[in-house]
Amino acid sequence: MNNPLPPLEPIRSAYRLQYLTDEQLDQLQEATLDILENVGVKFPSEKALQVFSAHGAEVDHNTQIVKLERDLVFKAMKSVPRYFRMAARVPEYDLQLQDGTTYFTTDGCGVQVCDMDSGKIRPSTKADVGMMARVADYLPSIGFCWPMVSAQDHGGTAPLHEIDAGWNNSVKHVQSETIMGGRDCEYAVEMATVISGSREELRRRPPLSLVVCTIAPLMQDHAGIEGAMVMAQAGIPVGFLAMPCLGTTAPATHAGAVAMGDAEIISATVLMQLISPGAPVFHSLMQAWADPRSGGYVSYARDARSRYGVVEMAHHWGMPSLGACYGTDSIEAGTWQSAAEPALDPLLAGLTSPEIVTGMGLARTYTRLYPEQIILDEDLYQRARTYLMRMEVSPETLALDVIRAVGPGGHFLGQKHTREHIRTSLVRGVTHEFDSNGKYREPREVARQRVKWILENHHPAPLEKAQQDELTRILAAADRELA
Amino acid sequence: MSEELLKAMAQSIIDGESEIAADLARQAIEAGLDPLTAISKGFVEGVNQVGDSFACGDVFLPELVMAGEAMKAAIAVLEPELKKRGAAREVLGKVVLATVEGDIHEIGKSLVGTMLTASGFEVFDLGVNVPADQILAKAEEVKADIIGLSALLTTTMVRQKEIIEAMDARGMRNRTKVMIGGAPVTSDWVEKIKADGYSEDAIGAVNAAKLLLDAPA
Repeated sequence: MNNPLPPLEPIRSAYRLQYLTDEQLDQLQEATLDILENVGVKFPSEKALQVFSAHGAEVDHNTQIVKLERDLVFKAMKSVPRYFRMAARVPEYDLQLQDGTTYFTTDGCGVQVCDMDSGKIRPSTKADVGMMARVADYLPSIGFCWPMVSAQDHGGTAPLHEIDAGWNNSVKHVQSETIMGGRDCEYAVEMATVISGSREELRRRPPLSLVVCTIAPLMQDHAGIEGAMVMAQAGIPVGFLAMPCLGTTAPATHAGAVAMGDAEIISATVLMQLISPGAPVFHSLMQAWADPRSGGYVSYARDARSRYGVVEMAHHWGMPSLGACYGTDSIEAGTWQSAAEPALDPLLAGLTSPEIVTGMGLARTYTRLYPEQIILDEDLYQRARTYLMRMEVSPETLALDVIRAVGPGGHFLGQKHTREHIRTSLVRGVTHEFDSNGKYREPREVARQRVKWILENHHPAPLEKAQQDELTRILAAADRELA
Repeated sequence: MSEELLKAMAQSIIDGESEIAADLARQAIEAGLDPLTAISKGFVEGVNQVGDSFACGDVFLPELVMAGEAMKAAIAVLEPELKKRGAAREVLGKVVLATVEGDIHEIGKSLVGTMLTASGFEVFDLGVNVPADQILAKAEEVKADIIGLSALLTTTMVRQKEIIEAMDARGMRNRTKVMIGGAPVTSDWVEKIKADGYSEDAIGAVNAAKLLLDAPA
């Protein structure tokens, strides 16, 4: 039997924090415009260059560098929708992006999996993608699913197999972060059409969206940008994710890295609007740091303020934001590092209110899956979600009549009011489970048990047989052509 | 005079001043100084000092990279003179570096190239998005000791495997070792595709390369 559909639990914060002043936002935007106008961004795609040329941008076909004047930027950016819908297989889980509501996703795209029973680390497969999609489908904190690991058993068409595993194991919206290339994206559009039923319905309620990484400094990826154009033309939401690394691929100062990453995102967004005005596009910037001794990639610094300032940059441009949370650098789940690094993330994300946020469940800087980690990350999420709710002050919660009745020196255990409220006043997380001796259990063990329970008991509604067959047929064709 | 010149050469490397290093190299040639002496007693002294400071934690990667760039600038001036004299500088090994086809991520690969050059390897950096045939042809042409293959994406790391298979087919593996790198690369992957070495960062790559060639660490 299929499981019911409990309501999603996005963060709806009662509070808002402004990281950057209006003046700072204007300064950053001016810096972006300066970079776009005077330095330019490399677009290694003839198709993209032609679109820019046709709209009057300054295009150097030899260097493939495009320079954009501010008038063209603002004109194009006018058609970016501020909010749009990311649809699910079932309408109950459609995400209508809106101010003040933040939906989280899973992390991606890892390449290793730690087996929960043996503790062995091995390369990830399509079955792992399906397994974690099922766990994500169950958790009300997860609004939409990123394939968490790479379907490495499917070679060159792994990204298409990843979305297939997503739809076969979850009714929620699937967002790919790995599909690249025009032909690959055409296959993805075909697969999404199977889920939607028609191209018109796909445009109205897209069950798929795509994240495309830009390349710092100031470049687009050939396959990434060609794929994005295919998706945008089909009405599938596309997000551009800049990942400037302070000290190596970006200036070693936050503001410079943000402005540069923003220029990468805005240049790609302009392209989408030029080829398909009104195309749904979201903005994402996750800066990292270069270790000053090894050059290694560091995802978490103790000062990660600019993770949240960039949400305001997206909103300043009139775009929805994919915020950056989680993805600890810890190589192991359940460590102090794996908890301390992301501990404030969901709280700060809730306070800055990106519309969508990635992503729970991976360690070792987004590369290793410990299945139980998603439960531990969710614990942090639920704490933040609760902290951001306004406290209720009413005659019922003030309980003055109960206080009067008990008076000084008494106790409240014998009160009906206590009996009614005590079950909900203490909200327990994974740190509050007891063993048979009444001692707190190890949270990681609790999390493992919960994942196993979900896998045994949660069975999302399967795709119709005809849809499954059609997806299999499309994948076979893609495997023949692209693998 | 030459003593002062040699000291200035070392200092130009320590300061990471490429233009000054190249200028001093030209002065050395004009003054008739043996280019090998200029390298080993001048510029390399600077590289060694920066390396020692790095090892002690007194300087960081930017100093190392800038010293490497200054060294490259000096060598570029001195190399033609060396050839004219029929001499060759001693190198630890020849490395052909590339980011695989379909992938244009450059920084990690370039950083590895700079570190290897500064450490005494001769590096042939073919750039990004390089087809397998081109990498193998260059390796055969220069008789490379090591091929270094970078890939940043889960979708392009499969090219590393294809290139190793092509090397097997050409019977190149006895002569040339393969090092791989990039964010998704793990020790599992190294084992699976039978690469010879890998590192998660540029400093580790130098050690891995030295290990492969039995060079002193």
